[in-house]
Amino acid sequence: MKRKDTVKLISADEMEFIIDKDAAMVSQTIGGFAEMELGEVTFPEISAVILEKICQYFYWALQYSRGKETEFHIEPELTLELMMAPNYLHT
Amino acid sequence: MSAQKKKAFQIEEFKHRVVVDPKYAEKTWKILEHAIHEIYNHNASGLSFEELYRNAYNMVLHKFGEKLYSGLVTTMTSHLKEISNSIEAAQGGLFLDELNRKWAEHNKALQMIRDILMYMDRTFIPNTHKTPVHELGLNLWRDVVIHFHAIQSRLQAILLENVRRERSGEVIDRGLMRSITKMLMDLGPSVYQDDFEKHFLEVSADFYRLESQEFIESCDCGEYLKKAERRLNEEIERVSHYLDTRSEVKITNVVETEMIESHMHRLVQMENSGLINMIVDEKFEDLGRMYCLFRQVSNGLVLIRDVMTSFIRDTGKQLLTDPERLKDPVDFVQHLLDLKDKYDKIITSAFRNDKTFQNALNSSFEYFINLNSRSPEFISLFVDDKLRKGLRGVTEEDVELVLDKVMMLFRYLQEKDVFEKYYKQHLAKRLLSGKSVSDDAERSLIVKLKTECGYQFTSKLEGMFTDMKTSQDTMQGFHASHGSDIGDGPMLSVQVLTTGSWPTQPITTCNLPAEILGICEKFRNYYLGTHTGRRLSWQTNMGTADLKATFGKGQKHELNVSTYQMCVLMLFNDADRLSYKEIEQVTEIPTSDLKRCLQSLACVKGKNVLRKEPMSKDIADTDTFLFNDKYTSKFFKVKIGTVAAQRESEPENQETRQRVEEDRKPQIEAAIVRIMKARRVLDHNNIVAEVTKQLQSRFLPNPVVIKKRIESLIEREFLERDKGDRKLYRYLA
Repeated sequence: MKRKDTVKLISADEMEFIIDKDAAMVSQTIGGFAEMELGEVTFPEISAVILEKICQYFYWALQYSRGKETEFHIEPELTLELMMAPNYLHT
Repeated sequence: MSAQKKKAFQIEEFKHRVVVDPKYAEKTWKILEHAIHEIYNHNASGLSFEELYRNAYNMVLHKFGEKLYSGLVTTMTSHLKEISNSIEAAQGGLFLDELNRKWAEHNKALQMIRDILMYMDRTFIPNTHKTPVHELGLNLWRDVVIHFHAIQSRLQAILLENVRRERSGEVIDRGLMRSITKMLMDLGPSVYQDDFEKHFLEVSADFYRLESQEFIESCDCGEYLKKAERRLNEEIERVSHYLDTRSEVKITNVVETEMIESHMHRLVQMENSGLINMIVDEKFEDLGRMYCLFRQVSNGLVLIRDVMTSFIRDTGKQLLTDPERLKDPVDFVQHLLDLKDKYDKIITSAFRNDKTFQNALNSSFEYFINLNSRSPEFISLFVDDKLRKGLRGVTEEDVELVLDKVMMLFRYLQEKDVFEKYYKQHLAKRLLSGKSVSDDAERSLIVKLKTECGYQFTSKLEGMFTDMKTSQDTMQGFHASHGSDIGDGPMLSVQVLTTGSWPTQPITTCNLPAEILGICEKFRNYYLGTHTGRRLSWQTNMGTADLKATFGKGQKHELNVSTYQMCVLMLFNDADRLSYKEIEQVTEIPTSDLKRCLQSLACVKGKNVLRKEPMSKDIADTDTFLFNDKYTSKFFKVKIGTVAAQRESEPENQETRQRVEEDRKPQIEAAIVRIMKARRVLDHNNIVAEVTKQLQSRFLPNPVVIKKRIESLIEREFLERDKGDRKLYRYLA
């Protein structure tokens, strides 16, 4: 089931998110991680909720770069934590 | 925001660990230090990058960036020290190999480390203006490994040794060399230059200095150049394979300086194989090679050009002062043309049509052609020969080719008016004796002269052609109206020449025989009847006659003779024997002409229709002439006429020169008047300069002559001298 061009991102609460490699590459940090070879990266400090939002962001970023200019909505409760993650991930 | 949402809006605590533990930094660093070790020991696969990244991230976040950075420096430095040692330990040939391998590994490690420490790279380093990780890695490599004394000198030595080996023909590992030089370049252009390139160039210079010395002692010029070219190509190839492209220009410079520039003069002057020999033997390939190589060094081409120019000038000067050569003008001019062709070919095929060389060739030709004052005459004679017989049966294009070449020589002449004079004379002779090979060729040349020198130059020449045509028409008219009258009498054919167009001949006396006088009068009356107000005078020195002669045994011949000769021979109808004095008295032909005419009648083998007593080559006043009954000839028609245009004898030459000088005077005066009319006031030097400029397309005026003309004009009140300044002249209207 695991195709070569996907990666699995695992959150602190052990939620697994499978996304395309292209999407993951939006984050330069993830792109640099050697675990990319293995196809899965664990983020013990990022919760599932945040990680989910981040994956959504990846896809939105891809869409945006291809010309589809939509808005990316962020729920206010998430904002604080959501600030730290990108800083960490260089996104 | 709605009330509901407000409730859900909570600020939660930072999920990140707050540092309470002072040993936190130390612990975290230890993890990272360990990781770096593992990376250098090729155990990276067991590491979790995310974890390491997170650790580094945390350190920086909690203000331990400094510790992280200095720790990195220390760790990396110690690893590199180890690596240095292992490289140094490598024996002989393995040294480069080991260095290369370790370099590749270091790069990979550096990459991974950079990835882990990316957060620090992004935030801490710019803030503190420290060197980024990647650059740091390179710098440390440079300082710890490359500039480690033992390694540095050995590296340099081995690299240079490899180059030396390759130069002597050995095969070396080019790929390895390439990796090493690339490494040096990655470390910074100054590293490449200081650690390698500088020494490479020095050593190469020494190498080529020696080699060129060897070669020049043992090879001739052509071989030497081949070798130089080969070495040059080798170096260029070497650069493309394993050196930085920017080194190409520098190393080619070195080779060119050592092999070409230092030995330039010796090569060119080399006996038996130098530049002159190559030119003489037409070694186009060698010449081409010399041109290409010398072009790269300063003054290389100047040297070739100068040597070639002086050689051409010498050859030309020799040709022009060789009395043997000058005896045959046609041959002489042909030699000049051949010389020009030869050099043109050299310049086109070996010197890439280089304009500067063309110019040098042209100026050389201009220089020596004008050394001999008879050049204009000779060129005209050459043309004359071609138009009489040389161009018979030649295609139109080839005719044009020859004429263009003649024009080219004409352009070099400074005294074009002298040429004009001779050309007119020779053309007149050609037209009047009907000896021109091709009317089209004649006209073609006139057109070329007109294009070159203007209408004035050729107007008289064209007048001559017109006269010939008109005369034809006149003769037709004459025969039509008088044809019946002639009957058995002599046949007359007249060419009427307009005085101004044809070369002036002094009128000579000559009594025409009675048999001719009749028809001559008839023609005169006919002509003057249709053209009133004109004066006709017979030019007895320019005509020809065909005589039917019967000799002793009844053999008949038709003799083609000049008018003078006709007059003399007709006398023998009434007498068998005549003295010189008698002949002179009756015909009244001028002495020198008469002597020449008698000479060709009596002293030339095969044409001696007269016998002379005493038998000798020259005509004396006391000679007697008899009709030669025993004359025989294979041919029915015998030509004893005046020969074709020949080079003038010295006195004739002087005479022509004088006439040319006389003709120049009015031209100079006209130029002076023109200039003064425009300028009103001008000083002496400027007048001379202006006059020279105006007349240079025809001839080079002598400043002394110009001065004389100015004085003559002052006398005739065209100009006056300024009262205050004697050197200033004023135009008088």
